[in-house]
Amino acid sequence: MNNYKKLNMEKNIEKNGVGYITGMKAGIVLCPGCHKVLIATEKNGMRIRLCPRCGASIHFRKPDSIGRTWALLITAAILVFPANLLPVMRVYSRNVPDDSTIMEGIIYFFKEGSYGIGIIIFTASILIPFFKITGISLILFSIHFKWKTRLKQKALMFRFIQFVGRWSMLDIFVITLLQAFIDFGILSSIAPAPAAAYFTGVVVVTMFAAITFDPRLMWDEY
Amino acid sequence: MKTTIQTTDISELIVCHDCDLLFKSPCVDVGYALFCPRCGCHLCEPKKNSINRTLALSITALLLYLPASLIPLMTFDTFGFKQSCSVFDAVIHFYDTGYLFVSLMVALTSLFFPLIKLLLIFVISMCLKLRYYPDFLPLFMRWHSFIAEWEMLDVYMIGILVTIIKMYHAVHIQYEYGFFFFTGLLIITFCSSTSMDKNLFWSLIEEKSLA
Repeated sequence: MNNYKKLNMEKNIEKNGVGYITGMKAGIVLCPGCHKVLIATEKNGMRIRLCPRCGASIHFRKPDSIGRTWALLITAAILVFPANLLPVMRVYSRNVPDDSTIMEGIIYFFKEGSYGIGIIIFTASILIPFFKITGISLILFSIHFKWKTRLKQKALMFRFIQFVGRWSMLDIFVITLLQAFIDFGILSSIAPAPAAAYFTGVVVVTMFAAITFDPRLMWDEY
Repeated sequence: MKTTIQTTDISELIVCHDCDLLFKSPCVDVGYALFCPRCGCHLCEPKKNSINRTLALSITALLLYLPASLIPLMTFDTFGFKQSCSVFDAVIHFYDTGYLFVSLMVALTSLFFPLIKLLLIFVISMCLKLRYYPDFLPLFMRWHSFIAEWEMLDVYMIGILVTIIKMYHAVHIQYEYGFFFFTGLLIITFCSSTSMDKNLFWSLIEEKSLA
């Protein structure tokens, strides 16, 4: 199954007695746009400001990464409350409106007996946003308090957060499709409710938090 | 202290973009992938016949794009009331409800970004295929890597499936051609982005811009 050759990398890694050699220690920068390896000389700043290959601006670490990520995370943590407490969808049945929150929608699936779908929606709209916010704050705290344990697991967790970020949009897409398809006039129709906007906000803000965070920061001083 | 890394040529070095580990690049053949030895992140994976395959798949996906987004996906039928909708209609219908921000995000992630991403892949691979290297290629490559994250056709597909399962007790669902075009578009888009070898594309662009 696995056709990836296990390479013996030990001979390619240089250890200088203290730890691994990183690009920053060696004065080598990676372009964030095209992943070109560039030499950055001069201790205080960089000789090159823009990547000669793709034109992206070059920094050893993403500028103000921690501050920006904290700001976005706190925004997301505030938005989570209206997103989960306000109704996300309004179902009109014979012109009688009935509001339901995200959690009520999930409970509806479980009552119906569609456990699989209930679990998928629960994972996408409650577990993933919660996991993203707590996961990135855990990594930020571990950078701040210099907890140097389980770095590999934290790196894996961050990659997982980057990967699952988009999947929270699932609930919004379901509402989009439902309100478009269930429009039978007076018989029944579905409309979005305010929490949809807050929830989209949570998704967008946490995705930007994952983009602004620089995972190299947690490996520094290692 | 002079280490071997300081004496080697810079083109032989690799820096991990997730943990900044610096190491000498081994030779990675087609069919193999290189992972960072410290943090385990995926670094590079050369693809077989990358330019031709990417070009062919992006043309296929562009042909599928219009029918997939404009032909109705399904028809919902209850007590003689019929409602059929395409991906595009769903966005317009959402816009009419007054949720500007949400409908904008849905329009971007399910309609505009997939199209822009496919057009960028098409233009880039076409230029490389024709050995024509205009100045906008690096810019297009950077736009592509930004947009790739915000394009959510796969999530939309799961959204369609959840909608079907949610409603199949209540209404009669008839699948239209749009559903099959959309499934095809999703699969081909996925294939075209996996067949794209970014390292190869970048090194080809660089060679020409220096020459």
